[in-house]
Amino acid sequence: MELLLLLIIIPLLTAFLIPLIDIINKKARRVLVLAASLAEFFTFLFLVINNWDDIADGTIFIIYKMGGWFPPLGIVLSMDMLSFYFSLLITISVMFLILYSIGYIGHHEGKYYVLIFLMWAAMQGIVLTGDIFNFYVFVELLLITSAALIGFRRNKKGTIASIKYMFYGVIGGLFIFIGIILLYSNLGTLNYAEISANFTTLSFNTQGIISILFLMGLFIKLGIFPFHFWVARAQSTAPSPISALLSGVVEKIYIYAFLRLFWMVFNFNYLQTTGLDKAIIFIAITSSIIGHILALQESDLKRMLAYSTIGHLGIIVAVLTVNTKLAIIAGLLHVLSHLLMKISLFTTTGYLLQFAPSHQIKDSRGVAQQNMFVFAGFIIAAAGMMGLPPMLGFFSKLYIVKSFLEKSYYLSALLTIVGSITALIYYARYIIYGFKKINLNSPQEFRLILSVLYRERLVTDIALMFVGAVIITGLIYKTFFGPLESVANLLHNPSIYIDFILGG
Amino acid sequence: MSKLKHISIVIILASLGLVMLLDLNKIPNQFEYANSIYHHITNNAVGETGSLNFVTAILYDYRAYDSMGESTIIFGAVSGIVLLLSRKTLPVSSHGLSFIVKRTYGMLTPFIFLFSVYIIAHGHLSPGGGFQGGVILGAISIIFSIVYGSEFDYKRYTPTTKTLLETSGALLFIGIGLIGIIYSGSFLSNLNILNSEPGSLLSAGSIPFINLGIGFKIGAGLAIIFYSMIQKTFKEEASL
Repeated sequence: MELLLLLIIIPLLTAFLIPLIDIINKKARRVLVLAASLAEFFTFLFLVINNWDDIADGTIFIIYKMGGWFPPLGIVLSMDMLSFYFSLLITISVMFLILYSIGYIGHHEGKYYVLIFLMWAAMQGIVLTGDIFNFYVFVELLLITSAALIGFRRNKKGTIASIKYMFYGVIGGLFIFIGIILLYSNLGTLNYAEISANFTTLSFNTQGIISILFLMGLFIKLGIFPFHFWVARAQSTAPSPISALLSGVVEKIYIYAFLRLFWMVFNFNYLQTTGLDKAIIFIAITSSIIGHILALQESDLKRMLAYSTIGHLGIIVAVLTVNTKLAIIAGLLHVLSHLLMKISLFTTTGYLLQFAPSHQIKDSRGVAQQNMFVFAGFIIAAAGMMGLPPMLGFFSKLYIVKSFLEKSYYLSALLTIVGSITALIYYARYIIYGFKKINLNSPQEFRLILSVLYRERLVTDIALMFVGAVIITGLIYKTFFGPLESVANLLHNPSIYIDFILGG
Repeated sequence: MSKLKHISIVIILASLGLVMLLDLNKIPNQFEYANSIYHHITNNAVGETGSLNFVTAILYDYRAYDSMGESTIIFGAVSGIVLLLSRKTLPVSSHGLSFIVKRTYGMLTPFIFLFSVYIIAHGHLSPGGGFQGGVILGAISIIFSIVYGSEFDYKRYTPTTKTLLETSGALLFIGIGLIGIIYSGSFLSNLNILNSEPGSLLSAGSIPFINLGIGFKIGAGLAIIFYSMIQKTFKEEASL
């Protein structure tokens, strides 16, 4: 199926073409960016239409052999239900974030779009690949491009954040790389399916070291508690669409990697027999509560949102590690709801901060007067974060608490609820400041410091569209249960995946 | 406080070192896994790819898609560095080193170029290939701006030329991959064009062409990186 390949090649080709277009005609660049995002979207749509029956059954399996080499020898791309779910999220959210960027970013657009398209290609590559070294290559591509975009503002703060992100990312990647070396030297293969089939033949200690190396690498990249230092800096200094991308989408890629590697490639039973899964839940829940507490004491709006990301990722990692069917469904549902809510929070914030003299919460007085709709959107997304009923955030948190209680992790369930209440406090603080009235005519109270918005209408529309998605997905949350259940089935039976890759 | 910090850093590094030491034990001394792809490649690589250099056979044929990702990392790094370091004003220097250095380098340049082309073109026969040859190609531009002054380099090879070279290298790689779909049904498959017996210059199908694409991409990319770095640090001396 060439469509699978096109999902990676279209953004990659666009990234290579943009410098060329820049030389010929700078105005044509925007057309190319728009056309390429739509082409990617329609490729995905075509893929869905072609395989609609399989997707509805939850049995979609597509394989593409690079260079015509058969699996253990060459690289394969594969799409099963897990990859499909994440690829869907990436395609749609990144497309709209690129449209948002067209309205939001006003300078150095050429390099900005090159990097954002490379990020898109890297994310699709990570999700669709069936080879562990290829996974590492695209993880590094994602790291380099996102590090450059974090420093996009080119001030001192941005550069520090970018370098810090780079260091942590490279060290995390190094752990993954050493793990890959150990895997290859012991098993003689890099293919996911073959590793998965032979992983249990390794000695107990080797399995342990490989698992811990990959866990360390992924936890650094996810920003789980002992390694959370880079998160707030990186996500607060980047321009808003990039913050949304980092917090909403890129972090979810590592959640995907966590699921793919520890459920389908390595032996999950190993984690359970050694008790490592309890340790992961403990670390992740600690990280979650620390993230919420750090968000509570933060006075900078974007840093507050970034710390809240740590809080939610901790919950997702913890609930997935519980490893019952309900827990995995709840975790994947929270992946969707956190993605939509975080993107809508960052996109609305990106607009609202145009009317505030700084990112400080105290300086956000009177933003509600500027654009009531966008501020209402912020409140709705924040309500989803707190877990208030009509939004998807409520239902995903409900099932998370349920699945913790089912396996009698009472403290984790309690801390999830405490985290939501903490979220209520820190979002309410900002909203109260936003509603305070100021005199728009007096220059002491109202200063428009940033006027980088070129297409204000586009920015607000896309921000409100994400908010709309938060509400709509909340109303139809039951429809996600069927597909997510088949993802959970797949994760519990990796032999389906192995048979498919090595048999076909 | 700082003492505590230092001690904790030493402890962390020591424990990491211990982990690495344990890792080394886990690597088997003798590589004998029955189903390993290693056996297949050592036995069949020449027949299947036509490349005498097994490393090149793996890099540009069996796992060519990985090489595409790796060269894209360099492309991304170049774009990132240009984004972070580029300034509007270009403080370029017209000075350079002394007359003797300029003349010597002038005579050497064609040979350096020839050497880089040799490394790129013989990637499938001897050690080397696109990545290594590309670095030498990039060094030409770097030495130009050191020896003759950055203004000379700027006029000879403008940033536009370098960008053109870089993107055309990248597009050549993807283009060969896409031709593979039409030609034999899969992306980056080894094209059977201009082929003769293994060991001659034009053998191994599309491997030399992929090498050429990567060579241009890497060479121009490194030159661009160097150029955007000196833009920031170079200061025009008033008199010399």
